[in-house]
Amino acid sequence: MTEIDLDDLMENLAQCRRCGICRDAVYEDMGFDGICPVWKNTAGFETSFMRGKLMIAIALLEGRLEKTSDNTEALYACSLCGNCTEICAAEFDPKESLELVRAVLSDIPNEVRDTLAERILTTNNPYVTDKKGKRDWVAELGFEPPTKADTLYYFGCTAGMKLPETAKAAARLLKAAGIEFAVLEDEPCCGSVMIRTGRLQDAEENAKKVLESIQESGAKTVLVSCAGCLKTLRKDYPEKFNLSMPKIVHFVEYFLELVKSGKIKLKPLGKNVKITYHDPCHMGRELGIYEEPRDLLKAIPGVELVEMETNRRAAMCCGAGGGLRSYDPELSKKIAADRVREAEETGAEIIANACPFCEQNLESGAKLIDSSIRVADIVDLIVDLIE
Amino acid sequence: MDQRIVDELARIVGNEFVSTREDVLLTYSASASTGYESVQPGAVVKPGSTQEVADILKVANKYKIPVTPRSGGSSLQGEAIPKPDGLVVELLRLKDITVFEELRSVRVGAGITFGKLDKLLNQYDLWVPIYPESALVCTLAGNVAVNGAGPGSTAYGCIAEMVLGLEVVLPDGTIIQTGTEGNPNAPGPFLRYAFGPDLTGLFIGSLGSLGIITSVSVKTFKRVHHFHYETYGFETKQQAERFLIELKQNEIHALFVSIYEGKILDFFMDMLGEEYGIPKHEWPALTVSVTLGRVREDQLKSDIKLAKQICKQLEGHVIGIGELPKGEWDDRMRTFARSSYAHGWHWRILYHHQPPSNWHRSIEEIWAIMDKYHLLGHTAGFQSGHGSYNYYPHLYFDPQDKEEEMKVREAHKELAQRLFKTGAVPFKLAPYWIEDVEEMKDYLNLIKTLKRVIDPNNIMNPGIFGDM
Repeated sequence: MTEIDLDDLMENLAQCRRCGICRDAVYEDMGFDGICPVWKNTAGFETSFMRGKLMIAIALLEGRLEKTSDNTEALYACSLCGNCTEICAAEFDPKESLELVRAVLSDIPNEVRDTLAERILTTNNPYVTDKKGKRDWVAELGFEPPTKADTLYYFGCTAGMKLPETAKAAARLLKAAGIEFAVLEDEPCCGSVMIRTGRLQDAEENAKKVLESIQESGAKTVLVSCAGCLKTLRKDYPEKFNLSMPKIVHFVEYFLELVKSGKIKLKPLGKNVKITYHDPCHMGRELGIYEEPRDLLKAIPGVELVEMETNRRAAMCCGAGGGLRSYDPELSKKIAADRVREAEETGAEIIANACPFCEQNLESGAKLIDSSIRVADIVDLIVDLIE
Repeated sequence: MDQRIVDELARIVGNEFVSTREDVLLTYSASASTGYESVQPGAVVKPGSTQEVADILKVANKYKIPVTPRSGGSSLQGEAIPKPDGLVVELLRLKDITVFEELRSVRVGAGITFGKLDKLLNQYDLWVPIYPESALVCTLAGNVAVNGAGPGSTAYGCIAEMVLGLEVVLPDGTIIQTGTEGNPNAPGPFLRYAFGPDLTGLFIGSLGSLGIITSVSVKTFKRVHHFHYETYGFETKQQAERFLIELKQNEIHALFVSIYEGKILDFFMDMLGEEYGIPKHEWPALTVSVTLGRVREDQLKSDIKLAKQICKQLEGHVIGIGELPKGEWDDRMRTFARSSYAHGWHWRILYHHQPPSNWHRSIEEIWAIMDKYHLLGHTAGFQSGHGSYNYYPHLYFDPQDKEEEMKVREAHKELAQRLFKTGAVPFKLAPYWIEDVEEMKDYLNLIKTLKRVIDPNNIMNPGIFGDM
């Protein structure tokens, strides 16, 4: 693992001039209509957005603030959505810095963080204390994918355990497109949440296990349907852990190519179905994948794609990431509800997304405000449309 | 802070909106004012209405607790740094906006930023045509409390010139409304100078020392869509200064005008030249960067022609590079903050005004100080109204180098004293401007008297004017 250089981190943190642009900037020319979803959905003290979080981080690291769980609360009350990084004028990445601060301060007790990590390390998922259930969806497919193939569908914990319909839809989609693919017998978690919450060493051990499993499958291409898995496997593993990964591709990237090349054709979804697209932070701001999902949606006959007030690089977060959904579920759902309201304002019937983790939280948000809008993964939308 | 007082505050705003947590207090101990000592308050409270502000001040007054009003926390000269164990009243929950189209005005709560208002007014094809450098962060109320300026000020002056009325909560909890809205039957804000003395002006630039501004009513204007961006070259400072005066004398509607000395322009080019797409050029000794803007195209054409003519009469030349002023204008909501990021570490800034004819005196003193203290820094500025030019020299320091920071503070103070002697005037009545200045004794005594009458317990931002 690349060691965290504390001097370098402190220098980066000192780059913040406390201008406060990371709070609620409304900058129409660049599409920003608010920045920090935590600030917006809490009492809004300075501790809620990045300026205050960095002040706390510096004080903790310099020993001016006692290293207690209470004093680190603000560091974890953040979805690491990166909207602050997008608008920050300074030459550092505040979101990335906060992530590193969590790692440096990982000796400060945090039950939620440690529980998640222990589960992942012992049961290959962050949700339950045993390994049962993660692969149950395969039995409902009506066919048994092999465990070795050139293409691996790395389905992820959330699709496997929380939204099995999405996992099934993804697998059926691949079969319908004539793609031979494998599914691991005992898929390890990508460990994204361990990286985000500061359990870096454990995350590295886990990453090696993931890579080993992928190598054993013989896959040259790994398909993912989760934006978190995508960012973790494609970007974090090589950059943070120096792991050489095979090609990591998201479903929307993969299927857009198939549609463009004419290998698959899509039937109409309906007549004038208004859909809006929610940009997952890990896919958009982290990897710059903004147009592919939109292009795929636009390729569906009968779909009218409408944009939310904030979209692409300025999109507000669903509130699930960075460990926030586990750390503060109520806040996480409030943020999701806020995003659902934004979607409702477009008049869309469906919020499409490309991340089961976002989908799960957006559904919670919709429920919180009794919204009738449908939250759907793009995979779910197109699975029955292949001609 | 005494728990009984905290409980009283909680009864006003609810438990959720008052905090004495150590981490929260730490984050309110400072603002964007780097280079100032942090001071930890005793509590932070976030009222959701003017009445709550009034009730909070009644409590503060009863217990004689020093109060620091705060909104965006983006001020750069220590205006919102609290007192030890004091109370910070953060106003960002006051978010009402009412547009009065026929009155050509808008009223905004103290939590509304320029960026948010600008987006809303754009729907009406209107704007408040002044953009402080922190427009995405700072609120109109906060900007009025410091009497700020920014791009747009060349044509329209400082923010004070926009203000039609204020709602202010006095230290004893009394709520007053100035301007036409003082009459509850008035249709809204349409005239500032109503009912006698200009009480509105009393609170502008008062830095929260006389009360808390809870809402601001300002003028709106039809949004300008016809722009022209041009640079004009001169060989002497006097020519460039005269050019600014003549632009005003001839009613040329320049929204943003800056004079750049050669080496400062080089600095700027290093920072943002490439991003703004400014071509390489052998710049003259003095460059005047001008954004012209008019509602009507025929007016703009006339301005362009006349500006060129004046430039030539002063033996200058039209450079023909519009990317510099265009970049400045398009990036106006954040360009200055970006400039500091691009080149500096933390900074001390010393806003002040000169008449354009005295532009060169500030430059001379700024360079002299930087040379004397061997500091990194730069200065920029813009014409800021009828007959003034707003300067904002930056003095940079490495935040991890305490010695350098102290040197910057010392230099900052000496620069203020030197500039005062050149005839410069500050936005704010900071101690480093007026300390030991015998000539302003009577003026200061009047302010002290006003402060004593309005705030006998001296709870409102005490010390912000120095020993007053």
